[in-house]
Amino acid sequence: MIDVAPIWRPDIQQRNYRALLDAMARPGRVHALHGTDRAHSAALATLATLLDGEVSLSDPLALLHDTDWPMLQAKSAAPDLADYVLCVGRLPPDFEPKLGSLPSPEMSATLVLAVDSLDDGDLCLTLRGPGVRGAVELRPVGLNPDWIARREDWVDAFPLGVDMVLTDATRVAALPRTTKLEMN
Amino acid sequence: MSAGMQFGFLDEYAKREIRRASLKAVAIPGYQVPYSSREMPMGRGFGTGGLQLTLSLIGPGEMLKVIDQGSDDSVNAVNLRAFIEMTCPGIETTTSTVEAELIQSRHRIPERPLREDQFLVLQVPYPDPLVIVESSEEKRKMLHGEADYSRLLVKLYEDIVKFNEITISHRYPTRIADHYVIDPSPIPRWDVPKLDQSPALVLLGAGREKKIYAVPPYTKAEPIAFEDVPFRVEDFYDQKGQRRACARCGCRNSFLDEYVDSTTGELVYRCSDSDWCDEQLLIGDAPEAAHG
Repeated sequence: MIDVAPIWRPDIQQRNYRALLDAMARPGRVHALHGTDRAHSAALATLATLLDGEVSLSDPLALLHDTDWPMLQAKSAAPDLADYVLCVGRLPPDFEPKLGSLPSPEMSATLVLAVDSLDDGDLCLTLRGPGVRGAVELRPVGLNPDWIARREDWVDAFPLGVDMVLTDATRVAALPRTTKLEMN
Repeated sequence: MSAGMQFGFLDEYAKREIRRASLKAVAIPGYQVPYSSREMPMGRGFGTGGLQLTLSLIGPGEMLKVIDQGSDDSVNAVNLRAFIEMTCPGIETTTSTVEAELIQSRHRIPERPLREDQFLVLQVPYPDPLVIVESSEEKRKMLHGEADYSRLLVKLYEDIVKFNEITISHRYPTRIADHYVIDPSPIPRWDVPKLDQSPALVLLGAGREKKIYAVPPYTKAEPIAFEDVPFRVEDFYDQKGQRRACARCGCRNSFLDEYVDSTTGELVYRCSDSDWCDEQLLIGDAPEAAHG
C-alpha cells in the first residue's frame, strides 16, 4: 500500500468534513482538524477534504508544494475566477473573488484564509447571524483588518457573497456570508 | 461488505461533491444547491437524497436513527437503515432520539427537542415551493434570488378567500433567515416551529430533484402567514374542546395519528413518534402502564 499522509485518507476526510460543517453551521466556533502536522496545515487539510478535479483552486502566493497539486486534483485558476482561493491573513487582499449570481449564489468563492492563530489575538471580532446564538467572539492573530473591510463589500448583496474558512496550524473556524461582523 | 466496496457506498468524489454542496447550503440558508445525485440501489423517491447526505456525513462509531412517519419500524425506515448498516461497517443504530447523533427522517421531526450535537437529515420529494406558481426552473431561481414570493403569497391568499384559512397540511412554505422560502419536506404543520432557532443543524436532500438545502442552527424559520390569518399547528381537540390523548401512552402534547379500530370502527388516536410514545409509557401515568 502507498503510504499517504492522514489528511488524504477518506476516514480522516470524513472527520474533517464534519469539523468544517459544524464550523460553517456555527460561525466562530473553533474546531481542530485531524491529521495535521508541520507539513500538513489545517489549510491544506481543508483543501484535501473538499477539492477534486471538479473544482478550481487559486494559490496566488504559491503556498502549496508541487506535490500537493496532483493530490488535490483541482484545476488551477486565477484568484478572481477560482472556486477556492488559498490566502494569507497577514497580507491585505488584492483580488476580487467570485460572488456568485442571483440565481446561482453557490457559484461563489470559498476563501481558505491562513492566520497565525484563531485565539488570543488583539483583533476582537463579534459575530452575529444564522448559526450564532446571540453573539460570539473570535480573536484571530495575523488577520489584516482589510480582509474584514473588503468582506463587508463582498457580502453586502445577499445571497451573493463569499464564505471564509479561517485556519491556523491545526484548527479551523468559518465565516459564512451571512455572518455580521463587528470589529472592536 | 466486500473488500472492494467503499465505506458509505458512494465513491469519494460523490461524497466530496455532496460535502461541498452541503457547506454552501449552510452558508446560504434555504437556498437549494444543485448537485449530481447518484444512482442508488433503490428507486429515486425512496429517500435517496437523504440517504446520500447521511452516507456522506456518517463515520464509524456514530449512532444513527432512521424514521419514517415517526416510526423506526416502517418499511422505508427499515430498508434505509439496513442499507446504511451494510455499507457503513462500524456505525451503530438506535431507535432512541436521545441516543442518536444523526437522524434521517421522512415526514416527521422527533417530538423530543434536538440538541446541538445532533443532526437531522430530512428526505425531500419536492424541494421547490415555487413550482405551484412558476413552471420554469430558470425563472424560479431568479425569483428565489430576489426573494420575490409575491405570487406564492397570492396563491396562499386565494386559499384564505375560499376556506377562511391556509389549508396546507404539510410541506408548509417556510421562510429561512428572512430570505429564501423552502419546502420543509412533507412534515406536518406541527413540526414547522421546531425548525425555528433549532439547536441542531437540519439538512434536506432531494435525490430525484438533485438539490440539497439547509436550515442552520439558531436561524429564523418562519412559516408564511398573514397578519389577520396567523399560522396555526394542528390542534387535536375533540367536539367537547378537550385535547385528545394518545390511546397508548396518554400523552396530550404530541402529534397524533388517527386510526380506525377494526373491531369497533371507532377512531383511535396514537402518537405518531413511536420513540416518544415508548418514553411516555416508561414515565408511567399512562393507560397501558396502569394495567401493567
